[in-house]
Amino acid sequence: MTPLNPGPRVVKQAIHWMLKLRENGHNAHLQQQCERWRTAHQDHELAWQRVQSLHQELNLRAIPGASVALQTLENSSQRLQRRQALKLLSGVLVLGSAAWLGKDLDVISPLTADFASATGQRRSLRLPDGSLLQLNTNSAADLAFEADQRLIRLKRGELMLTCAKDSTAPGRPLLVRTREALLQGFDGRFVVRQDSDCTRISVSQGSVAIHSPGPLQWVHAGQSYRLDARGATLLHNQDMDTGAWAEGLIVTRDMRLGDFLAEVGRYRHGYLSCADDIADLRLSGVFRLEDTDKLLQLLPQTLPVKVSYRTRWWVRLERLA
Amino acid sequence: MPSRESVHTLYSHHHGWLNTWLRSKLGNAADAADLAQDTFVRLLQRREQLELNAPRAFLRTIARGLVIDHWRREELHRAYLEALAHLPEGEVPSLETRELLLELLERIAQMLDGLKPKVRRAFLLAQCEGLSHKDIAEQMGVSLRSVERYVADALYHCYLLRYESEA
Repeated sequence: MTPLNPGPRVVKQAIHWMLKLRENGHNAHLQQQCERWRTAHQDHELAWQRVQSLHQELNLRAIPGASVALQTLENSSQRLQRRQALKLLSGVLVLGSAAWLGKDLDVISPLTADFASATGQRRSLRLPDGSLLQLNTNSAADLAFEADQRLIRLKRGELMLTCAKDSTAPGRPLLVRTREALLQGFDGRFVVRQDSDCTRISVSQGSVAIHSPGPLQWVHAGQSYRLDARGATLLHNQDMDTGAWAEGLIVTRDMRLGDFLAEVGRYRHGYLSCADDIADLRLSGVFRLEDTDKLLQLLPQTLPVKVSYRTRWWVRLERLA
Repeated sequence: MPSRESVHTLYSHHHGWLNTWLRSKLGNAADAADLAQDTFVRLLQRREQLELNAPRAFLRTIARGLVIDHWRREELHRAYLEALAHLPEGEVPSLETRELLLELLERIAQMLDGLKPKVRRAFLLAQCEGLSHKDIAEQMGVSLRSVERYVADALYHCYLLRYESEA
């Protein structure tokens, strides 16, 4: 025998009451109202009991050592999603995880240094404070670690910074300067990209403060901003995973083919473009960056296009006749 | 419930294929064998009749769910160990507490699967950090009303899974 389930409206009311009481410190008047609601119908009471027990079951604060729960859940969920996208994507074969990280992990001792990557190359660098700096293709940065600040100047391209707490007390601020912006990282991880007409900042963990342009603005995990002379603009519905390059991948969601090729073009020399009549085709998927010729060969499998090579460095996509 | 015979037939015809498919996803023969076994155990536990028109598609659907559960567990363990590494020495919980917490985290992660990132985040900030809706709104840069809706939506989602989904 199964008891009848309370309807959706009743369940939502029970949730509403539970949250309201929780948020208002169990105010006596509200509590009375809530009790009246509970006794009004047996369904109400059943829904209430279930919501209470669910809430307790999901209460992570009751367990010792749960302080890391949020971080654990958020990190693992991001990775799981990427893994699902990678491995369960039908038709596209993706091999193992990119192991470039650590392969060329440079350790530099001087506190002021220039650091650059060539086209198609990615590099990573452990900074003196333990932070990890990763440079994407064709990028350059220099470091100025001084007594009162840790400053990274992004001169071209794109960097990912995984912040470490400064061991010297009080902690020196960790700053990134680009042509348009001054950013401050705290804990967590973020990506900064210098485009021709703006800077883009995307935070994947923790928070970043935008000191300029414009008034102080916080960027939280999952958010991206475009920064230019007019100030900071929140970007919605990104068509590309902003940090995937650090794993040697481009991950797109419904991205225009024209934009996709411009992105791929950053990782290779020469000319890469497409005919106007296919530039608006959309593409979603996970692509490995280590061999962009191979990547291009995958496109005709999902789109009505063909890839023509005039020379190795002159590539154009056209509509399949 | 499917008859043992029909599961047996499925097993003898498709077990080898399923094993190979799982190995290609997991890259590991031992895990693949385990999950292939679990797939058939799941079949025996199902209430409805088997859909035998497309047995492989059917098996793949079940196996895919198990693969995702398996990965979720792995990623949780990894993320948890990383998080522990950053705790001061005195605050690292005992082995039993860690097991308990991981089990709970796995249940929660499974429940929250499929929620939009914002809904999920708001809910976790309330449940894990005990933040008030007002603080969450500030931290996420959204309105108080949105946070209230997110948290309530997440709870409702969990409620349905907990009390109204078919076993």
